[in-house]
Amino acid sequence: MTPALLVQSAIVGVSLGSIYILMALGLTLMFGMMHIINFAHGAVYMLGAFVIYYVFFQGGVPYFAAFVASMILLGVFGYLVERSIYRPVKGGIEPTLVALLALTTFLQAAGYPVFGQLDKHVPPVFPGTTNVFGVGISIERLMIIPVAGALVIGLYLFINKTRLGAAMRAIEQDKEAAALQGVNVHVVNGLAFAIGFALAAASGALMAPIFKLDPMMGEQPLLKAFIIIILGGLGSIPGAILGGLMLGLIDSIVATALGAEPAFLLSFVFIIMLLLFRPTGLFGYAS
Amino acid sequence: MALLETRDLTRVFGGLTAVNRVDLTVDKGEIVGLIGPNGAGKTTCFNLLSGFLRPTRGSIVFDGQDITGLRPHQIAGRGLVRTFQLTTLFQEMTALENVLLGLHLHSGKGPRQVLFSRRDFPADEIARGRDVLEFTGLAPHADQLTRNLPHGHQRVLGIAMALAAQPRLLLLDEPVTGMNLDESGHVMDLVRTIRSRGTTILLVEHNMKAVMGTCERIVVLNFGQKLAEGTPSQVSTSPAVIQAYLGTGIAHA
Amino acid sequence: MRRKLGVPIVLAMLAALALLVPALGGDYYVHVFALVFTNVILAASLRPSLTCGQLNIGHSAFMSVGAYTSALLAKNLAVPFEVSLLCGALLATAVGLVIGYPALRLRGVYFAMVTVAFVEVIRLIAQLWVSLTRGMSGLSGIPKPSILGMTLTSRAGQYYLVVGLTLMILLVLWKLEHSRLGLIWKSIGMADNLAQSLGVNIARHKLLAFMLGCFFAGTAGAFYAHFIRFLFPPEFGFLMATNILVYNYVGGRGHFVGPIVGAIFLSLLSEPFRGSPYETIFFSIAMLLTILFLPGGLITLPRKLAELRSWRTASAPTPSPAA
Repeated sequence: MTPALLVQSAIVGVSLGSIYILMALGLTLMFGMMHIINFAHGAVYMLGAFVIYYVFFQGGVPYFAAFVASMILLGVFGYLVERSIYRPVKGGIEPTLVALLALTTFLQAAGYPVFGQLDKHVPPVFPGTTNVFGVGISIERLMIIPVAGALVIGLYLFINKTRLGAAMRAIEQDKEAAALQGVNVHVVNGLAFAIGFALAAASGALMAPIFKLDPMMGEQPLLKAFIIIILGGLGSIPGAILGGLMLGLIDSIVATALGAEPAFLLSFVFIIMLLLFRPTGLFGYAS
Repeated sequence: MALLETRDLTRVFGGLTAVNRVDLTVDKGEIVGLIGPNGAGKTTCFNLLSGFLRPTRGSIVFDGQDITGLRPHQIAGRGLVRTFQLTTLFQEMTALENVLLGLHLHSGKGPRQVLFSRRDFPADEIARGRDVLEFTGLAPHADQLTRNLPHGHQRVLGIAMALAAQPRLLLLDEPVTGMNLDESGHVMDLVRTIRSRGTTILLVEHNMKAVMGTCERIVVLNFGQKLAEGTPSQVSTSPAVIQAYLGTGIAHA
Repeated sequence: MRRKLGVPIVLAMLAALALLVPALGGDYYVHVFALVFTNVILAASLRPSLTCGQLNIGHSAFMSVGAYTSALLAKNLAVPFEVSLLCGALLATAVGLVIGYPALRLRGVYFAMVTVAFVEVIRLIAQLWVSLTRGMSGLSGIPKPSILGMTLTSRAGQYYLVVGLTLMILLVLWKLEHSRLGLIWKSIGMADNLAQSLGVNIARHKLLAFMLGCFFAGTAGAFYAHFIRFLFPPEFGFLMATNILVYNYVGGRGHFVGPIVGAIFLSLLSEPFRGSPYETIFFSIAMLLTILFLPGGLITLPRKLAELRSWRTASAPTPSPAA
């Protein structure tokens, strides 16, 4: 691998990592608060991308507006899922996980009749390439980095500087104590769902102009997000950020060197090793 | 003769040393109490003794044999049995079934027996199970589902199950916490009776009246270290102990 | 646990299905029901693991190992079917030991994630080891099953084979669940701390439940390979693993027949739509509705209907339903 290729892979890796971070943040937030793994996250990613397809590409709405619309729509959807699926399901975590699996299966399968069988593409919003550190990088991929960065900063500010964010942190630490303090756990959980879904939608929306769209496109990002939140520690937001970046870089570089699927294989083997020997991840605390 | 002896027992969690170089002995036939303010390391000690946690340093010797690092089921198999703080029971089964499980699980049947014998318990085991329930005063509730039993009865059932496992040393984790005067009196009577039948007892408890009234010897922990040790009157008048509890208050109901 | 919840009824149903299908239906129905029975084996063999409290979403990986092993041995080395099937099951069990031994220490979500990752690892290995498995082109030309040298050429013959396998496996699982081993598994699932404190070696028993499941999953995989005679790695992925889990949840976790009922019900429900996305749509809707309205699974349906009926007549007050 030439140095130029390495640099290129690295930059693409940061871009990819930004997407992974957005996916992982939502997942880790939801885990931290409700101790569930949102198996539906991949489907939401897919829906976020399809919203861009229909609203931006077919509908002619400016990309930025479509992007925001995607986040809002799927955020609302997330809140509704919390109300209609998460809240009523009793019997602990397992039935909830199975219910979310059911939701994801449904969304992915329904995608085929609804969206049609043919592959869909969204043209680049920022066409062309530019020169960074002496290598060519598509501007589209580059633009992902600041957008994702802005969202991450936004999330950080929300969690740490607002009252609702404080409520979320409280629930994460001790649900009952938070409730006793007057936090409406149901509403805040709903909000966590909404934020998680919105972030997943954002990842999908950002990736829409880059990869082809199909109803199963969310499965891989979901699995990657799993890897990241384990790497970073379930429930840890800094872990999700660092883990996402690491995986993005590793994926990009290893994939360029060995091919996408072997890279995938290696990352899964790595994650199994990690789970077996350091389940709390690189940055997590024992939960 | 010391039935249980720990030397230098230490457990560290990340930055926190929960149990710090604790030397503890329990002689055969004693009832020893382990007390201390919240966070003193009592539960961690129990987890270490029963094998649910591995010591970071130090050793545990039970009846002359080193059990440091053994797994919980192995330790239980040697006669060191514990109860749990919360009502950890087989909730969806009856009281009798719970005790039978305690009997059976310790019965050490070989794999062939385990695979091919019927699940229904043989008559002699059922009789033994009923005996244990009788002994602990739960006989009227034998066929009630555990989760329908009142809290106090559930705690006693936990003790009954531990008894069914034929312990030589019984570790009781807060046996009377949350009980009223009447209930706790009955349970402590039961504890004394258990001891008179030949089982040594080590208990953790916050209820000072229960502890002072039942234990012959008390060990006081604070911040993971042994602070004091002695008879109830020695301990309750020790200035160090009083100071440790200062602000939280010593005498509970 | 107290009521023998329609076990004779379910068994009678199974017997009826088994005997009547080739007579009543054509090759199509035989094919469908053969797959239904395969699913029954998969679902029932996951149950011991679930009883021990392990959320296992990796069952399809072991099916895959069994399938490919048997297929390759029979196709490339002309190994007789009985032997290749056994080898498939044994290798699946061995793989289960390798991953299970360290992984079963983990609890809850962590264990589930290992199984999810593991399914992907097996899938990717099958995909990438092209020289062995033909990767994404798929492995074809797998011989039909045979017994004592006689090839089972007809669909009906193969169908009776899987029925026979299913009944044998169910018998073994039934016996185990109702033995002391089953009781130990149940106690581990209910309160593993307590079980440990009473002398149960939970690691060994969880591993046993897990490996047993792997053995039968490998068996099902081997049959599948020789029945469908074409293997394609993504088939045995995350989706199938979750399906198997879902058969257990939708059927009901509380009773032995739960996974059987779930597998039959969901397989048949999605059958008219097999191949089209509507199959999965109906499947997932069934899953959701069951979780939301029948959390105990389909096996609680008779009880729920009885409760509804007694509310309507409003005679004696009904006891509060078990959670």
